[in-house]
Amino acid sequence: MALKTSAPRKGGISRVNGPEGIDSIPLRYGDDPYVWACWLYYEDGMTQGEIAEAMGVSRATVNSYLADAREKGIVNISIEPARLASLTIAQELKRHFGLSDCLVVPNDDDTRPLIGRLGAAGAQALAKMIKSGDTLAVAWGRTILSVGEHLEMASLQDVTVVQATGGTTASFAYTPELTTAAVARAISARCVNITAPAIVASAQMHDMLLTEPLIREQFDTLARANRVVFGIASLRPNSTIHTSGFFESVPLQHYLAKGAAGVLAGRFIDERGRPVAGPLDDRTIGISLEMLRGIGTRVAVAGGFDKVPALLAALRGGYVNVLVTDAATGAGILRADGVTSLDGKLSQRQKSTPVANAYRTHVKKFLNNPNDVVEEMLDGLIAAHKPYLQPIGNSRRALVARNGPRPGKVGLVIGGGTGHEPCFVGYVGKGLADAVAIGNIFSSPPPDPIAKCAVAASGGAGVLFVYGNYAGDVMNFEMAAEIAEEKGIPIRTVLTTDDIVSSPVEDKEGRRGVAGNFFVFKVAGAACDRGMTLDECEAVTRKANDRTYTVGVALESCSMPQTRRHNFEIGPDDMELGMGIHGEPGVSRERIRTADEIVDTIMDNIFKEMKAEPGDRVAVLVNSFGATPQMELYILFRRVEQRLAAKNIAIEANWVGHYCTSLDMVGASISILHLDRQLTELLHHPCQTAVLTINTPETP
Amino acid sequence: MSESAARALAKMFERMAEAIEAEKDHLSELDGAIGDGDHGITMSIGFKAVSAALSALDLDAASPSEVMSTAATGFLDAVGASTGPLYATGFRRAAQTLAGRENLDLPACRDMLAALSEGIRERGKAQRGDKTMLDVWLPAAQAAATAVAEGRSKPDFWAAVTSAADNGAAATATMVAAKGRAARVRERSLGHLDPGATSAAALVRAMAEAL
Repeated sequence: MALKTSAPRKGGISRVNGPEGIDSIPLRYGDDPYVWACWLYYEDGMTQGEIAEAMGVSRATVNSYLADAREKGIVNISIEPARLASLTIAQELKRHFGLSDCLVVPNDDDTRPLIGRLGAAGAQALAKMIKSGDTLAVAWGRTILSVGEHLEMASLQDVTVVQATGGTTASFAYTPELTTAAVARAISARCVNITAPAIVASAQMHDMLLTEPLIREQFDTLARANRVVFGIASLRPNSTIHTSGFFESVPLQHYLAKGAAGVLAGRFIDERGRPVAGPLDDRTIGISLEMLRGIGTRVAVAGGFDKVPALLAALRGGYVNVLVTDAATGAGILRADGVTSLDGKLSQRQKSTPVANAYRTHVKKFLNNPNDVVEEMLDGLIAAHKPYLQPIGNSRRALVARNGPRPGKVGLVIGGGTGHEPCFVGYVGKGLADAVAIGNIFSSPPPDPIAKCAVAASGGAGVLFVYGNYAGDVMNFEMAAEIAEEKGIPIRTVLTTDDIVSSPVEDKEGRRGVAGNFFVFKVAGAACDRGMTLDECEAVTRKANDRTYTVGVALESCSMPQTRRHNFEIGPDDMELGMGIHGEPGVSRERIRTADEIVDTIMDNIFKEMKAEPGDRVAVLVNSFGATPQMELYILFRRVEQRLAAKNIAIEANWVGHYCTSLDMVGASISILHLDRQLTELLHHPCQTAVLTINTPETP
Repeated sequence: MSESAARALAKMFERMAEAIEAEKDHLSELDGAIGDGDHGITMSIGFKAVSAALSALDLDAASPSEVMSTAATGFLDAVGASTGPLYATGFRRAAQTLAGRENLDLPACRDMLAALSEGIRERGKAQRGDKTMLDVWLPAAQAAATAVAEGRSKPDFWAAVTSAADNGAAATATMVAAKGRAARVRERSLGHLDPGATSAAALVRAMAEAL
């Protein structure tokens, strides 16, 4: 490489300052010899000797300037983050589990399926290890077949590839026979198959087959293996192990019940890597765990979060000494085994001391006894909203709307935990919900108050339950529905699932309900008030839920009255996308951006799912999580309006404020209801509640 | 056993309440990492309510089964949430299996653990490996069944049960949550102990101490 030397060389001229003195530093470097040395080295590409000559110092001095400059942070060497991460994870895995080697593929390439990327990496690892004269045992599986497909080595001699287990008659492509054959072909090796079934009908059959000379010879070859490559299967419900047909499902359940965490080469291990005994053990023809562990080079190729417990088990059991996996799985394994130093190493950020936030250990709140917050809030709330609602009997956890329930009308019961105020009590009143069941903070109410609400709301035409899709709420409301139905009240349920980032669209039913509750309650309440049948009420409520799209972002998490500490920390420059309304962590942590950019991310997510045509109408809710002020909500609404206008989508109605909060969380959510004629009518139907009053006939 | 079985069970619930109270903050902290941070509080409210409900019961007249069903109702009416229906169903099942029994011998304890874990499993529709309290209750029940089958002594029985429970709780750190709110954070739940499993292990230890 030709050197570009912009600095004039000064070697040997007037060394007035002695041997280590610098004649004069060119003006542009200030007074800093470190910067000068670094510039010449990194930018101009000079050698250390040339720099010594140019600066008029010794080569050793240049060397120490360059080293010190790294220390002082004058020079930062950065490695592309995804590569750095996978390298760091590989090194940590190698160190933590005492592996002889580890290859981790970065997760920056989502264009290729994981199996293919692992296969390519596994092939790369094998290519470095296999030598002429080796005997390589190969277990079956999708990932290992992929290794075979990516492998290519022509120059080896006398290599034997031997199948590690018996065969199967399954119809999939990654049978033991085909996997072994693919690897053997790729390296032009002799291929030895085990010509017996992997699992036979009885232990006697197993013993008989192993005395058969041909099979015994094949097993002798297997016993000579000095290298083995295998995949690791989990026993999770979505594992191919359940569908592969390799195992019968009844024995699988047995192993699962006994604590099996993973399967290697057809053998079951528990979370510490110990063999799990079961009915298939004596009937399996193939390499034993003991044989496997005796092989010199034991290469495992596997990835995917579901496999973390299985991989960890295999590593703990010492079955693996060369691991090939992907960065996300590798990081997961380390975290699962309690390695916490990783996060620091993965970050390329400057080592700066974090802003001290320890000066305040508690969030300030208006409290008497923290254990009484819910009861005291109910005292105030029942008194404040007396015109709209009243306790059912003497239960303050079940409130009914005054002038709400009436004979012949479908009753609407809503409910959930507290901490979301004005949700849910604020939506109880004529034209909206008939009754509300109230739980503890962020906790579903028990079945009893819900059932009381159902009885109070019932007008003989059935009762509709509408609540957010959370495991706890579902269990309690289901138990309450059973109680109500025993009393002859027909119950229908619509779960709200408006949080579109909480699960992918394929798992729409698994999403949680958040601030979009507002629209779904409004539509349901109007449908009930108009005297629609239970079937019709349920159908239109379901439609409203299907057409409501919410995304939330949190800047700071909330603090419980009892702990007065943030539930978790969101870093000084971070935000949490996909935040729910219970202070639980969101879906992904990202760097905080401008308000417009945040709204754009949210709206892009919503537009991806909402099939709105130009000219369509929507209702908009910009909702504070509790601590975000109205001013910022308007800033968000401004951009929402701009994005909708650009698509020629009209806003039929909008609400900007505190409608469904999460205690004192800093953050906001945006909900869009995609209207049609029926939903528009129901949205405008009159109602009178503590937080929402719409065109009552008296005051149009 | 000099005290009555009903008294022994009441003592067991007392121990459970103490254990939860001692672990309360720790449990909430664990929950904060992957859930909504209230598990310690919810469990504490629940077991305080159980104590209150049991104190209203005449333990000299009550059967073990009645103690269990009283605890179930007390717990459920106080908490709701997801732990409410889960433990209430578990306790209710245990009450059914204890019906007509006056003796808390090891087979009875085994059946109680089996019924409890089965009730939780059915209500929550979860299974082992989902990173839930079942990763403690199912192995504990299994260990109890094995210990009785092998004719172990009482101390050995409870040692086996608590060690299975503790191992089960520890193993949840290696799992990705499949149920409940923690399932939303997906792989970020790795490395964190499941709070429900941790409290379950504390309950099993309390059971062992009391029984």
